[in-house]
Amino acid sequence: MKIDRRSFLALGVGVVAGNALSPVPAILTDDIAIWTQNWPWVPVPEIGGSAYADTTCQLCPGGCGISVRKVEERGVKIEGKKDHPVNNGGICALGLSGLQLLYGPTRVKTPLKRAGKRGEGKWIKISWDQAISEVAGKLNDLRSQEKAHTVAGISGSSSGTMTEIFRRFLTAYGSANFFHTPSIQDTYRLVFEFMHGKKADPGFDIENADFILSFGSSLLEGWGPPVRMLKASKKWKDTATKIIQIEPRLSRTALKAERWIPVTPGTEAVLALSLCHVIIKEGLYNKDFLANSTFGFEDYKAKNGEIKKGFKQLVMDDYSPEAASKITGLDPAAIILLAREFAKASAPLAIFGKGQGILPGSLSEAMAIHALNALCGSINRKGGIFALDVLENKELSEVALDGIAEAGLKQHKLVETPHNSSGCLNQAFSAILKGNSVNALLVLEANPLYTLSDSKSVKDAFDRIPFIASFSSFMDETAQYADMILPNHIYLERIEDVPLSMGFPKTVIGLSKPVFKPQYSTKHAGDTILLISKELGGSIADSFPWKNYEACLQHVLSDKMDVLKKKGFWTATDSFPDFKNAFRTASAKFEFQTDSLSSDLVNVKIEGDETYPLVLIPYETIRLSTGYIANPPFLTKAVEDTILKGKDSFIEINPKTAQASGFSEADMVLLQTPKGQARVRVHLEEGIMPGIIALPRGLGHTAYDNYIADKGINVNQLIGPVNDPVSGLDTAWGIRAKLSKA
Amino acid sequence: MDSALIPNGVRRCSINKFMIALAIAGAVLLWGVYAMFLCWFKGLNQTNMNDYYGFALWIWADLAIIALGGGAFFTGFLRYIMGKDELKNIINYAVLIGFICYSSALLILAIDIGQPLRGWFIFWHANVHSMLTEVAFCLTCYFMVLTIEYIPLILENKQIDKVPFFHHLSHNMHSVMAVFAATGAFLSFFHQGSLGGVAGVLFGRPFAFREGLFIWPWTFFLFTWSAAAYGPCFTLMVTKITEMVTKKKLVKDNVVELLAKISGWMMATYIIAKIIDTYYWANVTAPSLGFNIMHFYSNNSFYGLWILFLEIILGGVVPAAILITEKGRKNSLARNTAFVLAVIGVCVNRWVMVLQVMAVPVMSFDTWALYYPSWQEVATTILPVAYGIILIMISYRYLPIFPQEPELNPVD
Amino acid sequence: MKQEQGHSKAKKFGMVIDLDLCTGCGSCMVACMAENNVPFKEDETDKLKSITWMRIFKFSNGKTYPETDVCYLPRPCQHCEGHGGHSPCVSVCPATATDYDAHTGIVSQIYTRCFGCRYCMGSCPYKARYFNWFDPVWPDGMEQYLSPDVSPRMRGVVEKCSFCYHRYQIAKDKAHYEGQTEIEEDAYQTACAQACPVKAITFGDLNNHSHAVSKLKNQPNAFRLLERLGTNTKVYYVSGREWVRRAGDNYLKAEWPKKTS
Ligand SMILES: Nc1nc2c(c(=O)[nH]1)N[C@H]1C(S)=C(S)[C@@H](COP(=O)(O)OP(=O)(O)OC[C@H]3O[C@@H](n4cnc5c(=O)[nH]c(N)nc54)[C@H](O)[C@@H]3O)O[C@H]1N2
Ligand SMILES: Nc1nc2c(c(=O)[nH]1)N[C@H]1C(S)=C(S)[C@@H](COP(=O)(O)OP(=O)(O)OC[C@H]3O[C@@H](n4cnc5c(=O)[nH]c(N)nc54)[C@H](O)[C@@H]3O)O[C@H]1N2
Ligand code: SF4
Ligand code: SF4
Ligand code: SF4
Ligand code: SF4
Ligand code: SF4
Ligand SMILES: [Mo]
Repeated sequence: MKIDRRSFLALGVGVVAGNALSPVPAILTDDIAIWTQNWPWVPVPEIGGSAYADTTCQLCPGGCGISVRKVEERGVKIEGKKDHPVNNGGICALGLSGLQLLYGPTRVKTPLKRAGKRGEGKWIKISWDQAISEVAGKLNDLRSQEKAHTVAGISGSSSGTMTEIFRRFLTAYGSANFFHTPSIQDTYRLVFEFMHGKKADPGFDIENADFILSFGSSLLEGWGPPVRMLKASKKWKDTATKIIQIEPRLSRTALKAERWIPVTPGTEAVLALSLCHVIIKEGLYNKDFLANSTFGFEDYKAKNGEIKKGFKQLVMDDYSPEAASKITGLDPAAIILLAREFAKASAPLAIFGKGQGILPGSLSEAMAIHALNALCGSINRKGGIFALDVLENKELSEVALDGIAEAGLKQHKLVETPHNSSGCLNQAFSAILKGNSVNALLVLEANPLYTLSDSKSVKDAFDRIPFIASFSSFMDETAQYADMILPNHIYLERIEDVPLSMGFPKTVIGLSKPVFKPQYSTKHAGDTILLISKELGGSIADSFPWKNYEACLQHVLSDKMDVLKKKGFWTATDSFPDFKNAFRTASAKFEFQTDSLSSDLVNVKIEGDETYPLVLIPYETIRLSTGYIANPPFLTKAVEDTILKGKDSFIEINPKTAQASGFSEADMVLLQTPKGQARVRVHLEEGIMPGIIALPRGLGHTAYDNYIADKGINVNQLIGPVNDPVSGLDTAWGIRAKLSKA
Repeated sequence: MDSALIPNGVRRCSINKFMIALAIAGAVLLWGVYAMFLCWFKGLNQTNMNDYYGFALWIWADLAIIALGGGAFFTGFLRYIMGKDELKNIINYAVLIGFICYSSALLILAIDIGQPLRGWFIFWHANVHSMLTEVAFCLTCYFMVLTIEYIPLILENKQIDKVPFFHHLSHNMHSVMAVFAATGAFLSFFHQGSLGGVAGVLFGRPFAFREGLFIWPWTFFLFTWSAAAYGPCFTLMVTKITEMVTKKKLVKDNVVELLAKISGWMMATYIIAKIIDTYYWANVTAPSLGFNIMHFYSNNSFYGLWILFLEIILGGVVPAAILITEKGRKNSLARNTAFVLAVIGVCVNRWVMVLQVMAVPVMSFDTWALYYPSWQEVATTILPVAYGIILIMISYRYLPIFPQEPELNPVD
Repeated sequence: MKQEQGHSKAKKFGMVIDLDLCTGCGSCMVACMAENNVPFKEDETDKLKSITWMRIFKFSNGKTYPETDVCYLPRPCQHCEGHGGHSPCVSVCPATATDYDAHTGIVSQIYTRCFGCRYCMGSCPYKARYFNWFDPVWPDGMEQYLSPDVSPRMRGVVEKCSFCYHRYQIAKDKAHYEGQTEIEEDAYQTACAQACPVKAITFGDLNNHSHAVSKLKNQPNAFRLLERLGTNTKVYYVSGREWVRRAGDNYLKAEWPKKTS
C-alpha cells in the first residue's frame, strides 16, 4: 500500500471529520457536564410554598422577636422581626443560627438512660413512660425516706412560668433547694432591696440617656438584650450620646465609646465613689432630690443611738481623686473631669455589671454605682435607671403542702443567706463538697458544669450526687454527665412565655410559639414536670391541676394571652411613682447604705498571691455564646482566628507584657492560676492594659457536637468563685495568673 | 534481547540495567500517579493551596516547564524558518523535550482544576477576554503540533520503519515538517505570551500588573522572549545531562555553541528589557497605584530583594554574559554553569509571577500569606519529571534521536 | 447618565457601609451563610479555607496602648465594574462562569459553569472569592434548612457574594405580579443589610436618586477600597476617622494627607 501526500491528507481530514460528526463525543461530554452538576452527595433543596412564622428567640435572655421563613414544613431562615420593641428587624449571629440547633447533631432525640460510666456517653434509649416513672419512683423513694429536702433543682432562668412551675414542683415536693443560674440581675435586685426597699429589676433607659458611664459592662457584646443594645449604639451615634467605657480591655463597647478609660480592674467602685466625691465637693448633685428624698446622705443617728457617718462624709473622707488615683491608676484630673461631665450632662446614667452580666458581681460596687446615679437624680426618670416591679405569677407561688413537704421545707437549706439565696449556685456545690447531701438533682436549661466558676469542683460535687436528671434539649456538659435525660422541645417547637431580660426599661413578655412540629421524640419540660407530679400523686399532683403546660400558661397569663398570641409580645404599662412614694425603705426614702460602702468591702478581692504576677480576666465576644447554649457551627465559623485556631485558645496580652517574658504572637504558653492551668496561645493586642491577660468565655466545651467540642479553653476552669460578703453571690471577675513557656 | 529495536550503529546499555533504571523512575512515577488520583477523587483539599493561593506550585510548574519547553519551538524556528541547518542535529531532542514539557503541562492543568470533567468548558464557553482562554487554545494546538513533530521520530524506529505504511507516513510527515514548525512557532509566540499575560493583566494585583501594547501587557512579550531565550538552554542542559548519563558525546560542540550563542544573545536582550520593565514598574507603575517597591519585598519572612537579584542578576545577567562571550561559550564548565543558572533564572521568574503575586497583600489591612506545597502537590509535580525521564530513556534507546551519535561514537 | 432598558432604567446596585457604626458583631456574616446555603466544616479556623462571602476584617490605627483604635470592615464582593464591566475577575474567567450584568451591576457566579481554575481568585484584590476545597457536608438532618432559592455548590468550584441575587429575582417577580415596572427600595434588600442590628449596611440602587445609597455615597467621608486600581467598585465605606479612610487604599508617604485641590 502506497500512501501519497493526497491520501495522507485525506486520511487526516477523514479522522477529524468522522470524530466531529459522530454524536458520541458530544453526548459523552454533555453527560459528563450534567453529571458534575448532579453529584448525588450535593443536596438539592426541595422547593415549595414559602411563608413566615413569627415567634420569640430564646437562645439568650435577649427576647428578640424573630420571623422564621419556612418552605413547606422546613425552616430555611431565621430573620429579625420587624416592629418588635426589642430588636425591630435586627438579629444577632446566634439567633440567625437557630436552625442549626433545630436540625443539628447536638439534639437529644429521645429520653436517654445512662448505660456506661457517668460522662462516658453510653446511653440506652428509653420510652417516655419509663423515663417519667423512673424519675417519679426515685423521687418517691426519697420522699418516703424523709429525704425530700435532699433533692435540688437548677433552672437556667430566674423568671417565667417554666421556672415558677419548676420551683413550685420542688416546694410541693418538699425541698427549698431551688437554684437558678445567677447574673447581675440578682445583685441589682439586692441593690433595690437595700436602697429602694422594694423588689425590683433594673431598667436602663439607654436610648434617652445622653451620657453613659459604663463600669465595664459589655454593652455591645451581649449585655442586656444584645440586639437592643446594638441598635442603641446607632442611636447614640445619631444623637451624639457620650459613652464612657471603663474597662481594662478595648472591647467592642470601648471601641464605640467616646472614651475608653482603662482602670485597674476591681477598683471600679472606688472610682465611682471618687466621682461622687467630686460631684459633692463641687455641689453638682441634684440638691432637691438629695434634700427631700434620701436618707443617709448627711450623718445620721442609728437605731442604737450611735451617730453614723453619712454618705457625704464617707466619700469626702476616703475617696478624694488623689486617693482614688493611687488605687485605680487614673489621673486625678481625669477623675475630676469625668465627674463634672457626668454631673453636668442632662441625662447621665451609670451602669454596673462587668461583661455580659453573667457574673453577679460585688454588691458594694453595684451600690456605689447606683449612688452615683442617685446623686444626679437619674432614678426613675427619662434617660436614667428605672426600678421595675418584679414580674411574678402569684398563682404559681402559693402551694398546698402535705406533711412531708412541710417537714422537708423546714430542713436546713444548702445555702443560707439573709437574702434570697437561689442565685448562690456556687455555694450550693461547695456545700455538697462540705458534706451536705443531695440525693437527686434536676436541671432545667442550665449547664452548671460548664458555666460555673471552678468547674472542677462543680464536677467533684456532681460525683457526690447519686441521681442527676436533665431536661436539656441538647447534649450539653451537664446532660452528658447526668443519669437520665428527658429532652425538652427546643424554643422553635414549644410554647412558652419569655420575660424580657434584665435591663430593658419596660416590662415586656414575649411568647415563643411552636413554629415547627417536634422534630424528635421530645416533650415540653412543663408537661414532663406535670406528668411526674401526677405520678407522685397527692398534694403534689393537686398543685398541678392543669391538663398540660399550655393550659397552665393560659390560666396563669390569662389576661395577657390574647395580646401575646396576636402580637407576640406584651408590654406592661409601667408607672413610676414620684420620689415621695417610690421608696419602701424604713425611712421611705432612698437610702445610701454607707455600711456597705466601707473601703474593705468596696475593693473587690481577687484570688491569688504575688507568685502570680499577672491578672487573668474573662471577656465576652458576641461571636461566642457563653451560656447554656453553645455555639452553633455558623457562629463558630465567625470566630476570629486570633481567638481560636485549630483547638487552641488565644489569650490577649499587651505586647509590652509579652515582650517582658519573651513571648511573641502565636507562641504556645502555659497559663497557671491558683485554680488550674491550661496551654494557650499568645495573641498580642495593644488594646489591653499591661499586666492583664484576657481569655474569652464560650470555648472549651467538652460536650455538644464536633463543631464546638474540644475547641479552646473554658475560662471557668481557671477561675474560682469569690463570694460576696453580703449577698453571697459570686464576684470573681478575675484571678491572678502566670505564664511560662510551654 | 531488544537489540532488534535498537537503532543501527549505536551502542546501548544492557536490557537489565535499562529495566532497573526504568523501574526506579517508574516507582517515582507511580507515587505521582497515586497523588494525582488522590487529587482527582478526594479533591484539591489534598493540596496546601487556599483562598489566598488559588494558583500555586502547579501553575508555577506549568509556566516553568512551558518556558523550558520553549527550546522546541525556538530551535524549530531557527532551523526551519531561519535556516540554521546545523540545528538539525539537536532538533529531535528539542522536540522530544518540548513534547514532554507540554504533555506534562496539560496533565498538571487537568489535575489543577477543581472540576476536571468540565475542563472542556474552557473551549466550549470560551471567554475571549481571558488570557487563560488564549493559553488553553494555543497550548492545546501547539501540543498537537508537537505530537505531529514527534510521530515521525517514532516512525524511524528500525522495526516500525519496516512497515511500508509507516515508512511512507514518516516520509510524508518529514516533508511537511517545516509547515508544522512554522505553525508551532507562531502558536508558541502567542501562548508563551498569553502565559505572561495571565499575570500581567491582573490590574487588581499591582505586583503582577504591567502596562503594555494594545491588549497585551509587557509581560506578554517578556514571557515569549524569555522562553525563546531560556528554552534552548534547558534543551542544552538536558543534552549535557544525557551525555553525562550515557557517558557519550551526542551532539557536536559547534552545534551546542551555536545554539548557546543565539540563546545568550536572546537572553542578553531579554534581560535588558526585563531590567527596563522592572525599573519602570518599580518607579512608575507601582507608585502610581500607591505602592513603594519595598512593599513587595518586606514585612514577610521569605520574599526579599534577594529574589530579584537571583532572578535578574544570577539567573539572567550572568549566564547571558557567559554565553555571549566566545571564551565563556567555549569553556564547557562556564557554559554548563550558564545553562544551569539560566534555568534557575527563568524558573524563579515564573515563580515570582505566580506565587509572589499571590503572597503580596493588596489591601492595606490585609496580610502576607506564605505557602508550602503538600506532598501530593510535590509528587504530582515530580510525576512529569519521572515521566520525562522514562520517555527520554525509551526514546533514546530505540529511536535515532541524535543524528551525530554514530559518528561521534563509532561502534567497532 | 441615563440608560433606558425597556421600561426600566439600568440599575446599579451597591452598598454603603458605615464603619463608625459597625460593631463587628458578625450578624451580617452569619445572615449571609444562612441565606446562601454556605457550607461549614468541623474546623473553620483556617480562615484561608473558610468560605465567608461576607468577611469582617479587623485592623488598628497602629498606635500603642492606650491610644490604639480598631476598625471592623465588613467585606462582601465589591461587585467591581472596572472599565465597562471588565471587573478584575470577570475579565479573566476563561469559561465565562462569572459575568458582569449591565442591567443590575451585579457580578454573577455560575457554579455549574465554573470548572475551578481559580484564576478569578488570583485576580481579586479583595479576596472576595472562595473555592470549595471540600465537598459540602451537612450533618445528618441539617440539610433540611437549605434554602431552595440558592443552589448548594459542589466541590471544586468558586463562589462569592451575589448581592443576594435571588432576592432580586423574587422582588422582581412580585413587582411584576402586582403590575409594577419598578421594584421598591425595600423590596430588594440583601440578607446582610437586613440583619445588621445597627443598620451599618445600606443597600440599594446607586443610580436611583430616591434610594438612600445614592446620597450616602456622596458624603465627604465616603470612600471605596483600592480605588486607585481602577476596580470601580460598588461598595462604599464611610468613616469619620481619617486613619480608617487612609487604610482604604495604598498611598505613598508624600500622598497623605490627601491634597484637596
Ligand atoms: N419566578 C421566576 N421565573 C423565572 C425567572 C425568574 O427570574 N423568576 N427566570 C426565567 C429564566 S431567564 C430562566 S433561565 C428560568 C430558569 O429556571 P430554572 O431552570 O428552574 O432555574 P432555577 O429556578 O434557578 O433552578 C432550578 C433548580 O435547579 C437547582 N439547581 C441549582 N444548581 C443545580 C445544579 O448544579 N444541578 C442541578 N441538577 N440542579 C441545580 C436549584 O436548586 C433549583 O431547584 O426561569 C425562568 N423563569
Ligand atoms: N445570582 C444569579 N445570577 C443570575 C441568575 C441566577 O439565577 N442567579 N440567572 C441567570 C440567568 S438564567 C439569566 S437569564 C440572567 C437574567 O439577567 P438579565 O438578563 O439581567 O435579566 P433581567 O434582570 O430580567 O433584565 C432584563 C432587562 O431587560 C429589560 N427589558 C424587559 N423587556 C424589554 C424589552 O422589550 N426590550 C428591552 N430592551 N429591554 C427589556 C428589563 O426591564 C430588565 O432591565 O441572570 C443570570 N444571572
Ligand atoms: S440577641 Fe438573644 S434573643 Fe436576640 S436573636 Fe440573639 S440570641 Fe436570640
Ligand atoms: S452586622 Fe452590621 S454591625 Fe454587625 S458586623 Fe455586620 S455590618 Fe457590622
Ligand atoms: S470584589 Fe473580587 S470577586 Fe467581586 S467583582 Fe471585584 S474582583 Fe470580582
Ligand atoms: S474558577 Fe470558575 S469562575 Fe473562576 S475563573 Fe475559573 S472557571 Fe471562572
Ligand atoms: S449581599 Fe447577600 S450574598 Fe452578599 S454578603 Fe450580603 S448577604 Fe451575602
Ligand atoms: Mo435564563
